[in-house]
Amino acid sequence: MSKKLPLLIMILPIAFFMVFLVALPCIYVVIISFMEKGIYGGIEYIFTLENYKLILEPLYLKIFANSFFIALVTTIICLLISYPFACFISQKNKTVQTILITLVILPFLTNSLIRIHGLIILLRDGGIINNFLLNINLIDEPIKFMYNQTGTIIGMVYTLLPFMILPLYSNISKLDANLNDAAKDLGANKFKTFLHVTLPQTKYAILAGSIMVFVPTLSYFFVSDLLGGGKTMMIGNVIKNQFLVARNWPFGAALAISIVLFTLIVVIVYRKMGGKMEQLGGVSYEK
Amino acid sequence: MKKIKLLVLFILLLGLTGCNQKYENGEVNVFNWSEYIPDSVIRQFEKEYDIKVNYSTYSSNEECLAKVMSSKTGTYDILVPSDYMVDIMLKKDLLEKIDTASLTNFSNLDPNYLNQSYDPNNDYSVPFIAGGVVIAVNKQKIEENITSYNDLLNPKYKDSIVLLDDERVVIGIALKANGYSLNDTNDYALAEAKEFLLELKPNIKLYDSDNPKGSLITEEASIGVIWNAEAALAIGENSNIEIVFPKEGIYKWIDNFVISKGAKNKENALKFINYILNPEVMKRVVTYFPYKNVNQETNKLLSDSYLNNEAMNIPDRIMNNGEFVIDIGENITKYDRLWSEIK
Repeated sequence: MSKKLPLLIMILPIAFFMVFLVALPCIYVVIISFMEKGIYGGIEYIFTLENYKLILEPLYLKIFANSFFIALVTTIICLLISYPFACFISQKNKTVQTILITLVILPFLTNSLIRIHGLIILLRDGGIINNFLLNINLIDEPIKFMYNQTGTIIGMVYTLLPFMILPLYSNISKLDANLNDAAKDLGANKFKTFLHVTLPQTKYAILAGSIMVFVPTLSYFFVSDLLGGGKTMMIGNVIKNQFLVARNWPFGAALAISIVLFTLIVVIVYRKMGGKMEQLGGVSYEK
Repeated sequence: MKKIKLLVLFILLLGLTGCNQKYENGEVNVFNWSEYIPDSVIRQFEKEYDIKVNYSTYSSNEECLAKVMSSKTGTYDILVPSDYMVDIMLKKDLLEKIDTASLTNFSNLDPNYLNQSYDPNNDYSVPFIAGGVVIAVNKQKIEENITSYNDLLNPKYKDSIVLLDDERVVIGIALKANGYSLNDTNDYALAEAKEFLLELKPNIKLYDSDNPKGSLITEEASIGVIWNAEAALAIGENSNIEIVFPKEGIYKWIDNFVISKGAKNKENALKFINYILNPEVMKRVVTYFPYKNVNQETNKLLSDSYLNNEAMNIPDRIMNNGEFVIDIGENITKYDRLWSEIK
């Protein structure tokens, strides 16, 4: 007991945090998703499955499909940018690596809403990018970067890019260069080396990064509100509306739970394929 | 050594917070819209009455309702709900009666804005400020005269309209364009509204409730269906912009002071409300946030630049011709579905 006591005291804060600020609210959300709505918000304590039936209506399935599409495109673009970038960083010396990774993390320290507003100044019709392109006569009409799906995707990629770069970097920087040399000695060209040696070693990092980009995209409604001009309805927007306008909390909760379930399934599949939970947490720094 | 320095600093800081001013006459908890009463007015009240104001804000009527319903009774003393939300709060028995006779400044209010349908004798609510949704048009870019919501459908205006990101406003004007009430919940009316909105869709550049004037000022959008004060501020920044009151009538609202049920500082709440109704104080409020003033004594003090500005001081005939949003109860889910369909 005397040995266990200090340990108990040490885990008490995190235990408290997990139980009261994570587990209980989640359970509460699950419960209200099975209740009937009160006319003026709140809930009536009557059990119903209506809320989940409503999700299956074509209208909402279409919004799910559209959200998944945007999330998929965002994930693919993030991957295409991050993979070469992570390879590039890991070839640099230690100091440069630290500097570059700090530069990736740095924007995280500022509020993402402010960064999105910064993007608006760059991207709008009379914005810096369009003005520049017009002035050097590369284009005759401003390019529509914003207030459409392109805007939403640009914003999502920008906000979520570090979530892809970090797991990839931590994995790629630890790869054994000798394996590449061995592949070369055995007669593989660069492409084959990449396909059969590098890629298989990084597949879990790719999966981890993809999950960490894909899932938040579904619920970042402020990005589509600001850069998409509020014209693309994503699941996040529908959930927000249920709580703030339509006064249908149970339906909002059911939608939220369905995203959680989807995430759980993805994580289970990821683990079945052999992925490690640590990598989902981002970077493991030990070398 | 360093630790000692830190400790000294910490104690000094503690001392500073300890110096906090004591208020002789207690406190009052005000829960108001953001950007509505200038900070200086609140500080002035604290000084004059020796009452501490605990001020917190919300950004929609529904948010206010949700917070009030989920907190302990007596958490807030004063709330500032709009017309239809007063009605809902009354139905939910969330309001305390207000003895308007005890408010010496109540008589300053314009009778035109008293005794409204949601509270016929002003037993529970005191009008604070009003406003409406207007159409702002950039005259340099739009040659035609816009007089009706239906004019917004002109295919020439492709990708050039900014709308409030608010389903009651957007569906409301679609209903009005087709000759229905803002609050119609009949399926045939909503079907026509849906058709209108699908036709309008290509013309919509963006939905924005937070800062709709922004895209008008930068000329990103040339037509805006926005709150009147936003339009007024946009005109101030960009003189090409004019406002139009559509002939079908505007969406209007009145925001009201109410006292929440079980309020702990009722006396102080009444003092606060009475203070804001003071003509001089109200003048400072509307000069800062140029919505429609409903205090007739304040009107005598306001300059022509406010009074003659129709975007700020919406003419009474327009207001009287406008329509309130009313509580549509369960039918809100119909609106929300429609909203998800047209977006």
